[in-house]
Amino acid sequence: MHLIEEKYAPMPNKLPKKFIDSAKKCELSAILKQGANASHLYVESNKTISLKKIYGLEISHQDSKEAVKIKLVVKKGVKIEKPILFCFGILGKTGKQKILSEIKLEEGAEAKIVSHCAFPQAQDVLHEMEAEIKLEKNSKLIYEDSHYHGEDYGANVVPHFKIFIGQGAFLKNELILNKGSIGKLEIIFEANLEENALCEVVSKIIGKGKGDDIEVFDKILLLGENSRSLTKFRGAIANQGKMFFKGVTEASAKGARGHIDCSEIIIGKALAESVPIIKVSHPEARITHEASIGKVNQKELETLMTRGLSEKEAIDFIVKGRIK
Amino acid sequence: MKILEVKNLSVESKEDNKKILENISFSVAEKSIYVLVGPNGSGKSTLVYTLMGMPRFSVVSGKILFLGKDITNLAINKRAKMGLTLGFQDPAYFEGITCEAFLRAGNKNISLNEIKKYLTLVGLDPKKFLNREVSNSLSGGERKRIEFASVIATKPKLMILDEPDSGLDVMIYREFYNILENIKEETGATILLISHREELGAIANQAAFLDKGQIVSKGNFRKIMKDYCHASNRRKICPYAK
Repeated sequence: MHLIEEKYAPMPNKLPKKFIDSAKKCELSAILKQGANASHLYVESNKTISLKKIYGLEISHQDSKEAVKIKLVVKKGVKIEKPILFCFGILGKTGKQKILSEIKLEEGAEAKIVSHCAFPQAQDVLHEMEAEIKLEKNSKLIYEDSHYHGEDYGANVVPHFKIFIGQGAFLKNELILNKGSIGKLEIIFEANLEENALCEVVSKIIGKGKGDDIEVFDKILLLGENSRSLTKFRGAIANQGKMFFKGVTEASAKGARGHIDCSEIIIGKALAESVPIIKVSHPEARITHEASIGKVNQKELETLMTRGLSEKEAIDFIVKGRIK
Repeated sequence: MKILEVKNLSVESKEDNKKILENISFSVAEKSIYVLVGPNGSGKSTLVYTLMGMPRFSVVSGKILFLGKDITNLAINKRAKMGLTLGFQDPAYFEGITCEAFLRAGNKNISLNEIKKYLTLVGLDPKKFLNREVSNSLSGGERKRIEFASVIATKPKLMILDEPDSGLDVMIYREFYNILENIKEETGATILLISHREELGAIANQAAFLDKGQIVSKGNFRKIMKDYCHASNRRKICPYAK
């Protein structure tokens, strides 16, 4: 098996309309306006439909019936100004997609990836992702991932991230699922941080589809001196759904600092669970956590109703604020 | 013309059926500033929350007429849509909501220029506050000002303010009375507020004095303050009296 190196703009780079509509729902219109000349990778089911590289950025892919294998490298010292756009999805009602991705930022490189996963018609859809992200010394990556799983059934979505953040490197990973139904979601995010590395992982999820089943597991290992992390989870669950968040942060080096901040809102009949686990094995390391689960704050609700919003509009407004 | 008429209103708490207000009657003239005064626990906040339709209180008897229409059994948001709104004494914080979004919540048609104007009117620099979160990173005074701006943004006919000057220091509450006058001039709205401060005399018109759930006197604001905030019980009734 070998990776195919693409030439510049080798393939049609039009994004199918259903992808565009889905991305617009997730408020990505501004990114889409970058146009076809911006670096991007679009994958529908297990087929790459468009790819665009720019100077300093290598993207290659290998498609097979079982999976699409992707490799992205930002070369040493290269700072990519405009976001790299990823679109993964299944546009029909049924199907399977498996993405095996390897992302590397070489020393001092900087990039932002805006990723959109679209399953707008999903009835029986499985999306799996195995992502390995490696950030070399002093590199910086912002990875924003938004999903849309349709309005009715949702999809079965299983992304697993394994991340290595090198000395002085920075990662901000933000996952947003706040439109439509979710279906079943199981995210595993594991990051290892070296000396002076920094990691911020933020998940904002609204499960309002009937019986949405959401599990998020964020694990951060602060292995290097003065490494730091923030794990932030904001969730809302309604309509007999289930939401489970487990945040683990372990510190084993001098000066390591971590914080887990988890807040979930429960609306009507639903189940929310939260398990923050903090583990420290160095006397000069410190980790803190805060967690809360509860209904929408009554005072916030009443304030908005005195401004003319109905109870439902007020709940939507509050939840969207927390999870936008 | 009367914008609000309260007729023989008796109210109890839904939690323990305890009577809190008894036979309350008063009316507020359009474009005036009407003040509710009285000692702590006299029922002032219960009265304004009942006028707004908060579900924690039940009206046992009596009527609330707003613009001549009986709103006694109307939901909070329906009253708000008619032009009645309330600014809270300790306003709530909203994580992830910017000042701009908060002001838009009650008025989707408001323009950006209007939002900027209202923030300026309450003494806040729009450049600094438009995109600021309505979270606990704000000071108490800043949050109160944003509350006023949000109330104004709904373009109400009657705005009820629950102790808008509490917790403000001397310099700020004097500035606040100027703000209140500006709001009244700018919006033409009627203002009903709870306050303990005599300084309001400069701008207030009428007042009602509540004690133990009943109105014991009503009329000219200065006269009410003079009659009821005198010597022996001055501190008890008017904590901020000179």
